[in-house]
Amino acid sequence: MLGERVSRASTLLEDVDALLRRAGAHANDLEALAVGVGPGSFTGTRIGLAAAQGLALALDIPAAGVSTLDALAAGAPGAQTVIDARRREIFVAGPRVLAPADLALEHGTVLVGDGAIRYRELLEAAGAEVPPDDDERHLPRARFHAALARNFGPAELVEPLYVRQPDARPDK
Amino acid sequence: MILGIETSCDETAAALVTLDGEIKANVVSSQADLHARYGGVVPEVASRRHLELVMPVLREALDEAGATLDEVERVAVTQGPGLVGALLVGLSTAKALAWARRLPLVPVDHLHGHVASLYLEPDPVEPPFICLLASGGHTLLLDVRAYGGFDVLGTTLDDAAGEAFDKGARLLGLGYPGGAAIDRLARGGDATAFSFPVARLDGLDFSFSGVKTSLLYAIRDLGDRLEACRSDLAASYQRAIVRALVQGALAAAEQAGRDTIAVVGGVAANSELRAALPGARFAPLALCTDNAAMIASAGRYSRPLPYPRYLDLDAYASRV
Ligand SMILES: Nc1ncnc2c1ncn2[C@@H]1O[C@H](COP(=O)(O)OP(=O)(O)OP(=O)(O)O)[C@@H](O)[C@H]1O
Ligand SMILES: [Mg+2]
Repeated sequence: MLGERVSRASTLLEDVDALLRRAGAHANDLEALAVGVGPGSFTGTRIGLAAAQGLALALDIPAAGVSTLDALAAGAPGAQTVIDARRREIFVAGPRVLAPADLALEHGTVLVGDGAIRYRELLEAAGAEVPPDDDERHLPRARFHAALARNFGPAELVEPLYVRQPDARPDK
Repeated sequence: MILGIETSCDETAAALVTLDGEIKANVVSSQADLHARYGGVVPEVASRRHLELVMPVLREALDEAGATLDEVERVAVTQGPGLVGALLVGLSTAKALAWARRLPLVPVDHLHGHVASLYLEPDPVEPPFICLLASGGHTLLLDVRAYGGFDVLGTTLDDAAGEAFDKGARLLGLGYPGGAAIDRLARGGDATAFSFPVARLDGLDFSFSGVKTSLLYAIRDLGDRLEACRSDLAASYQRAIVRALVQGALAAAEQAGRDTIAVVGGVAANSELRAALPGARFAPLALCTDNAAMIASAGRYSRPLPYPRYLDLDAYASRV
C-alpha cells in the first residue's frame, strides 16, 4: 500500500491528488479503480461513482464496485455493520434499510459504522456493544475496498447501491 | 477542442466545440419522459439518471466528433445554478476527467451558458446586445456588454416564463414539459378568444403568477365546454406571456440604448415569440433548451482554472 486517506465526498478528488503526490505517483500510473458504491448518502455515493467514471474514461482503466457494508465488515471482523440512512433509518447487511429499533440484536453484538454511532444509545440499550466514536472500525477504509474489489470492468457498469427508492409519487 | 458537460436539471449533455466556436458534437439525452409521470422534475430521480447517462453521452459526443480525449484542450462544466445533486454528477465527472488528463477546467454559470448559445458558429451574435433569457427557471433581461459578463436589468418576481408555460400546460392537461405542447395546440386556436392580462410592473421586471391563476379560473368557468376551447385557451395564454416578454425586451433595448435584441433559453423556441420579434436574434432551436454546446461556448470566454486548481469546486443551487 502506497497510501490511504479518509475523505469526504466533496474533497474526494483533492484527496486523490494529495495521495498520489505523496506516493510520488501520477494519474497515469493507475491501473484500476475500486470504488465504494454505498449504501450511504445518495449524493456522496454518486460523487464517488461519477469521479471513478471520469477517471476510468480519462485513463482508459477498468473499475470495480465494493459495497460500503462489505468494506466496513472487512475492517471489523465479528462485528455487524450499521450505516446511517438518515430519516431515522439505518442500512444493514442485505442490504436492507430499517428503523434502528427494528434491528434484531443478540446480546453483546458489536456494531460498527456511522449508524451505530448515531443510534448508540438506542442500540446499546437493546444490548449491542458500540466501540467509542473514534474507533477505527467505524470507517469504511479505502484499503478494504481495494482488497475486496473483484471483477474489474467498464466503470459505467458499476452500479450504486441505493437500497431506498427516491420518494416521489407519480401523478397518475 | 473544449469538452462541455451539463447536468443541471433533467438533460444530461456533452458537447465538443472548437476554440473558434464550431460545434463538433452536441449530444443531449433528455429525461423528460422519465419525469413526465411525476408532473415535474424529481431531483433524486434526475440525479440517479444523470449518473447512468453521463458516460454514454460523453462517449457518444466523442464518437460524433470523431475525436479522442487527446484532442480535448479544456473541460467546461456547469457549476450552477440548478439541482445540486444533479450538478455534482457532471462536476465530479468533469473534475476527474480534467485532473486525470492534466487539463484546465472552466466552471460555467448555467445562465452564462444560455447567453453563450448565441456565440457559436455559423452565425454568432456579437456583444453588446440586450438578451432576453426565458427558461424553465429564469426570466431575465440582460445587458450583455461583453462576452464575459452581463448586467441584470430585470427579472421575474415569481414564476419564470417557462414555468408559466409548464403550469398552464398542466392545467390544460398537456403533461410535462408543457411549453412545446402549448405552442403546438395554440396554432389551431384563436388568441383573442380569452383575455389573460399579465401584470404590468414598473421597471423591467416580470410577473407570471397572475396569468396562470386567470387561466385556472377560465378553465373552471368553462366547465364541460372546456374541450371545445382548449386550443383557444392555449393561444390566448401563450399570447399573454409572449406579449409581456416582447414588451420587456423592447423596453430594455430602449432603456439601455441597444440596437440588438437576442433571445435564449427554452422559451426562445416558442414560435409565436420568434414571430413577434422579427428583428431579434434567436438562439438556434437545438440550443434553446439545455445543452452542453452552450456550456462549452461559455468556456471560451472565461479564464480556465489551471490543473489542478479546480478540485475543490462545489456546485451551487442559485446565484448570489
Ligand atoms: N416551444 C416552446 N414554447 C414555450 N416554452 C417552451 C418551448 N419549448 C420549451 N419551452 C420551455 O422551456 C423550458 C425549458 O427550458 P430550459 O431547458 O432552458 O430551462 P431549464 O434549464 O429547465 O431552466 P434554467 O435554465 O432556468 O435552469 C420549459 O419550461 C419548457 O416548457
Ligand atoms: Mg437551462
